[in-house]
Amino acid sequence: MQLMASYETRTRRFSRAEYERLIDLGVFQPGEPIELIGGELMVAEPQGVAHYTAIVKTAKALEAAFGPGWHARTQGPIGLDDDSEPEPDIAVVPGSPEDYSRAHPSRPVLTVEVSESSLAIDRHHKGSLYARAGLPDYWILNLVDRVLEVCREPAADSTAPFGWRYIHHEVFDASAGVTPLAAPGSSIAVSRLLP
Amino acid sequence: MNAEQPLLRRWTRHEYARLIDESFLDEDEPIELLDGLLLLKEPQTSPHRTAVLLVATALERAFGEGWFVQTQSPITLGDRSEPEPDVCVVRGSPRDYVDAHPTRPALVVEVAQSGLRLARGRKAAAYARARIADYWIVNLVDRVLEAHREPARPGPARRHWGYAAVETLGPDATITPLAAPSAAIRVADLLP
Repeated sequence: MQLMASYETRTRRFSRAEYERLIDLGVFQPGEPIELIGGELMVAEPQGVAHYTAIVKTAKALEAAFGPGWHARTQGPIGLDDDSEPEPDIAVVPGSPEDYSRAHPSRPVLTVEVSESSLAIDRHHKGSLYARAGLPDYWILNLVDRVLEVCREPAADSTAPFGWRYIHHEVFDASAGVTPLAAPGSSIAVSRLLP
Repeated sequence: MNAEQPLLRRWTRHEYARLIDESFLDEDEPIELLDGLLLLKEPQTSPHRTAVLLVATALERAFGEGWFVQTQSPITLGDRSEPEPDVCVVRGSPRDYVDAHPTRPALVVEVAQSGLRLARGRKAAAYARARIADYWIVNLVDRVLEAHREPARPGPARRHWGYAAVETLGPDATITPLAAPSAAIRVADLLP
């Protein structure tokens, strides 16, 4: 599926530096749910009760699994590449929040999107973007089917929106346990992530 | 809602003006605000520029006193559109618009080659919604003039705003602008 090519028209793209300047200028409304994805300003999925609950549960479960030396950012910006600054629902990064007081983290060891109405976008569009950036472990908490989709092993694929995709895609149901790549000694019950 | 494609953030005209005021966007950057989207304009090829000049000349002659023709200059259409049509005919004189861009041109013309789909699609929708009565596309691909008239709102027959009457005229035909009923312009005179 070629999402980018299906746009009828070409819009002005923004670099990440431009996007950060727009934020500094106060152009956007406070709390406006936008992300810079491949140079385009995207409106994020509206957040329902289940979505928010899943974010909180997942962040807690991941902090417990990773332990000290890591923290789980929720809906915080990631300085992914020159034209992308997404705000994934959860991103696990090394260190403490103070370590990122000058610059956003760029390489989370685990990135999670909680997905209700945006499944197709999270799988193909964001999946391709995250694969291009080389993020090793990308999870989609699929609230529609109440499963966790684990995406790993980024590989080039010219048919993907950003030229990359994850070749490993595994689905875990609520009764399964899952182990983050960067916390190999842990096991998290998928049911602990679901709202 | 189950979105298949990410939704682009829409800009208001006020925000767009701020981007220019703050020098974030260069005034000469080839973009226009259409329905909240910052669209990149079609590159100015020589045939495109030639057609723009031919259309402007023909329309100045056809409309005469009491009107003026502006090329590639902004007009205001609602809160989220500030397009810069290739040519448009506006009532009065340039000084009448020293404080605000024109909002209701009597005729809008786009010259389209690579942007033909855009001209027929999103742009036609925006112009129809703004009740522009007469919208022409100088179609450089097929060397014809498309006259779009009778703005029509979305309904069972159409998903978006559009024009109910679309006529395609070859080089040998003549066309009369709705707002200049005594004029007759040869389509050949508009084509590069």
